[in-house]
Amino acid sequence: MATVGEVETAAGGEDLEPLFDYKRVQPRITFRFDDSDLEKADIFKHCNKRPRVDAAAAEEEGKPGEKAAAAKVLDVDEEDWLLPPPPKAVFRPTAEENSAMRELRLKKQELAKIAESAHSMFQEFDESANKEVGKPSEPIILDEEPELQVEKAREKIVISIQDKDGQQQFRIYKDEKFDKLLKAYAKKAKLNPSVLSFVFDGEKINPSSTPKDLDLEDDDMIEVRHKGR
Amino acid sequence: MSGGIARGRLAEERKAWRKNHPHGFVAKPETLPDGTVNLMIWHCTIPGKQGTDWEGGYFPLTLHFSEDYPSKPPKCKFPQGFFHPNVYPSGTVCLSILNEDSGWRPAITVKQILVGIQDLLDQPNPADPAQTDGYHLFIQDPTEYKRRVRLQAKQYPALV
Repeated sequence: MATVGEVETAAGGEDLEPLFDYKRVQPRITFRFDDSDLEKADIFKHCNKRPRVDAAAAEEEGKPGEKAAAAKVLDVDEEDWLLPPPPKAVFRPTAEENSAMRELRLKKQELAKIAESAHSMFQEFDESANKEVGKPSEPIILDEEPELQVEKAREKIVISIQDKDGQQQFRIYKDEKFDKLLKAYAKKAKLNPSVLSFVFDGEKINPSSTPKDLDLEDDDMIEVRHKGR
Repeated sequence: MSGGIARGRLAEERKAWRKNHPHGFVAKPETLPDGTVNLMIWHCTIPGKQGTDWEGGYFPLTLHFSEDYPSKPPKCKFPQGFFHPNVYPSGTVCLSILNEDSGWRPAITVKQILVGIQDLLDQPNPADPAQTDGYHLFIQDPTEYKRRVRLQAKQYPALV
């Protein structure tokens, strides 16, 4: 802006010639317009598949910040990863640029608003999504809490019981007597529990003892022996 | 430190054993009177295979691991005077997979050792005798050999 003023006073007020004659440069603008027209010409048609990008680029006129904002918005709308084409080198008279800058600033504000609204929209969407997820999870937590307390008090353990035919997994409380497990196994195997005994590490398990007493761990294996043999 | 490697491996072996092992077998590290566990010595039981003269016997076997385990195999010992062609009078088992210079590989597990020894019970290797008594009877008097094996099986009944 300062340069604009300087140029004007230099050109109008003093008879000193400016170091650089901007007037001589001015006609060249037409080339630029020609150039952009040319881009829309038939031979370039295949390059302009997305006129929106072109329009955005034209609006920008070389402000990197704006370009980024525009690019962001475009990224949301379109999946194309390509950045808009680089702005053309502009040699414009500064007076005209001044009004263009104003226009650009307005555009920038508009874009910022769009970006902001998009951002708030995303936030709203996120929140509503969270709410949707949160609602059903709440009752589950409520349901789980008492269960967790029970489990803390009475820890469960998975024990595999091995007999000649293979293994079966049983889940019992760590402080529950093996007697109950033996009966459960006998029922499943259709055997008389009185002829069966459990063996861990080669030692008979006392039916009145518990997995906790034997320091059993999850997935530990105990064996079934038939007393008759 | 190699001892750390041995103990680490043995802890893993024990963990795996607790979760799964062949039926009738026992393998557990020695527990000292003060309640601490000595991973370097394991007390095991090998059941005689069903359908063989060894059936019904539960033979106690002790595994002695060195600090060089698993680079070197454990020493496997039955009780002194155990009747078998490939068991030394001291009770030490003579088996190729337990020989550092022939069949031993560090990847062999405790489970494989015990199952290998169970196989050896009914399938002695006459090419590699370790005791005269068992070897001579196996070669010269199969009937007496059979009787001695059955007798020994009765000497080691199930503990439970």
